[in-house]
Amino acid sequence: MSRPHVIVIGAGSTGAATAHDLALRGLRVTVIERGEVASGTTGRNHCLLHSGGRYCITDQESAIECIDENMILRHIMPDLLELNDGLFVAITEADLAFKERFLEGCAACHIPARDIPVKHAFDMEPFLNPHALAAVQVPDGVFEPFRFCLAFLATARMNGAVVRRYNEVSDVICSGKSVTGVKVNNYLTGKTETLGADLVVNASGPWAGDIAEMAGVKVPVQPTAGVMVTLDCRLCNMVLNRLNKPSDGDIVVPQRATSTIGTTSWKVEDPDLITIPPEHVEKMIIQGEQLLPVVRKIPMRARMAVARPLIVKSDADARTVSRTFECFDHASSGVDGFVTISGGKTTTARVMAERVVDMVCNKLGIAAECRTRDVPLASYRLFFQGGE
Amino acid sequence: MRMLEVPLQIFRYKAGEQPHYDMFTVQVEETAHVIDAIDKAWAIHDHSLTFRRACHHSSCGSCALRINGVEKLPCITLITNVWDGHSPLRLDPLRNFPIVSDLVVDVSGFFQRLLAANMTITRDAESTLPLTVDELADVVPSEAVELPDNLSRFNRFENCIECGICMSACPTMATDDKFLGPAGLAAIYRACQKTDDPDEKAHLLALAGGEHGAWRCHSAFECMEACPQAVDAAGKIMALRREITANRFKRIRRR
Repeated sequence: MSRPHVIVIGAGSTGAATAHDLALRGLRVTVIERGEVASGTTGRNHCLLHSGGRYCITDQESAIECIDENMILRHIMPDLLELNDGLFVAITEADLAFKERFLEGCAACHIPARDIPVKHAFDMEPFLNPHALAAVQVPDGVFEPFRFCLAFLATARMNGAVVRRYNEVSDVICSGKSVTGVKVNNYLTGKTETLGADLVVNASGPWAGDIAEMAGVKVPVQPTAGVMVTLDCRLCNMVLNRLNKPSDGDIVVPQRATSTIGTTSWKVEDPDLITIPPEHVEKMIIQGEQLLPVVRKIPMRARMAVARPLIVKSDADARTVSRTFECFDHASSGVDGFVTISGGKTTTARVMAERVVDMVCNKLGIAAECRTRDVPLASYRLFFQGGE
Repeated sequence: MRMLEVPLQIFRYKAGEQPHYDMFTVQVEETAHVIDAIDKAWAIHDHSLTFRRACHHSSCGSCALRINGVEKLPCITLITNVWDGHSPLRLDPLRNFPIVSDLVVDVSGFFQRLLAANMTITRDAESTLPLTVDELADVVPSEAVELPDNLSRFNRFENCIECGICMSACPTMATDDKFLGPAGLAAIYRACQKTDDPDEKAHLLALAGGEHGAWRCHSAFECMEACPQAVDAAGKIMALRREITANRFKRIRRR
């Protein structure tokens, strides 16, 4: 039997990392992406390489995934990361009261956290709110999401994967109870094509529900939008987080010469049609001022909004949403040859890929170990060599 | 919030077909950027419209194109800053790159040029704030943001987002398609500054001093004008010329 062919729908961080893992395990891979790489959720990202601190109390499963992947990414994509660490800063007494729990949470999730003298924090961060009461340093970092995906895809390509940008899946083809390929509109040629596959991986983020519907199955993915505001000046050396439970506008991520404040969260029906509510932009400024009082004086460089794919867990009475990820084998709904990977974060894309490719290999009867923990990625610049 | 009805005149091309312009009228908020208008035209009117974008905040560099003929990043260009309120806003792909489809160009040549110096664009884990608190207080409230002199030290290759705007704006590119280009030469200059290895430096200067290197530049400074990131490639090309010359003198004296 020739090597099985797997189609991956979506070239965001999840699809890119999945393509890399599949190719490394010797499968034939085709990635289908309707736009540019990372043109959906991944691109409009906060660019935060999570230490896990943000989730160490509310969502420890996510927090552990984050710190583990943070350390792996430092090894496989060192040139793509800005490793300046992060600070969790207490501004109010309520924040300060949260500190002990936060340090315990970090310890429980093996996140290295250092309670530093606040004077030291002011030395390192001259724009920090002078009323700050405490600061805890963690190994947060910053990445550039487009290049993050390009590096995975460049490496996948070197291992034989084919990446079709500007190709949109218009239908999932089934034969009996099994998915056998996809139909695509190739916008580079204007033609419709049918591509056969032994298995299709749906890595289309907040659009996962639309693709699943084409195969006649459902996935519990809730597109949830968030607004971010980018300022035209770098105001902090480190990522600044509010020392408290995650909430709107509680983080400022410095990236090269800019600072990005985020984010808000509201459910949307259609991820392609998101309008940025002006009050959310204002909220980012107000919240950002809590950490960096100078924020309002800085010219705004960009505002953006995008939907994240949050997994809805229906195991409780109240619908709770976690930031972790999930793989769905739709054979359990009677459709074989079709799996969905959704949820998660860009920081955890590699382990998401590992889990879904384990599932794919298991379904296809292939025994191949995951090697993505150890294999350094090729330069993202190589992605563009070799054309479409 | 006030809404704008913006007519877009967008360059269209598919392999084997005649290039032409299509008109789309989209409704966007007054505070929208040009990328939001293109996004709407795509989402509502035509999914076969191909364009590049990822970050929407000028970090990825993918969305660069020409707005009314001028190279811009549509993600940070407010519609109200480039639209006169009635004529169509014309969108064309970058120049000096092969056109793939509609607004998408083949950027492989650009990235090829950057592989030579192999400079990363992420910042080192050093203090990277551009201004002190006092400097910021001086600068920000004023209308015309005049940056202090010492800031020029930050106008360097690490600011580059690899958008290709400099190559599109460069008149020399149009006359020599092998020209290393503004970003490519700025990267070589920065690599020269950072290396301690004399052989590596000699190699980089030989590349920059070669047939398609720094001497090709016509000093039009279009790259400096168009760059959204203040890389100052033109300044770096001039500095490279001085380095190349100094290095030649050094070698002659050693004979």
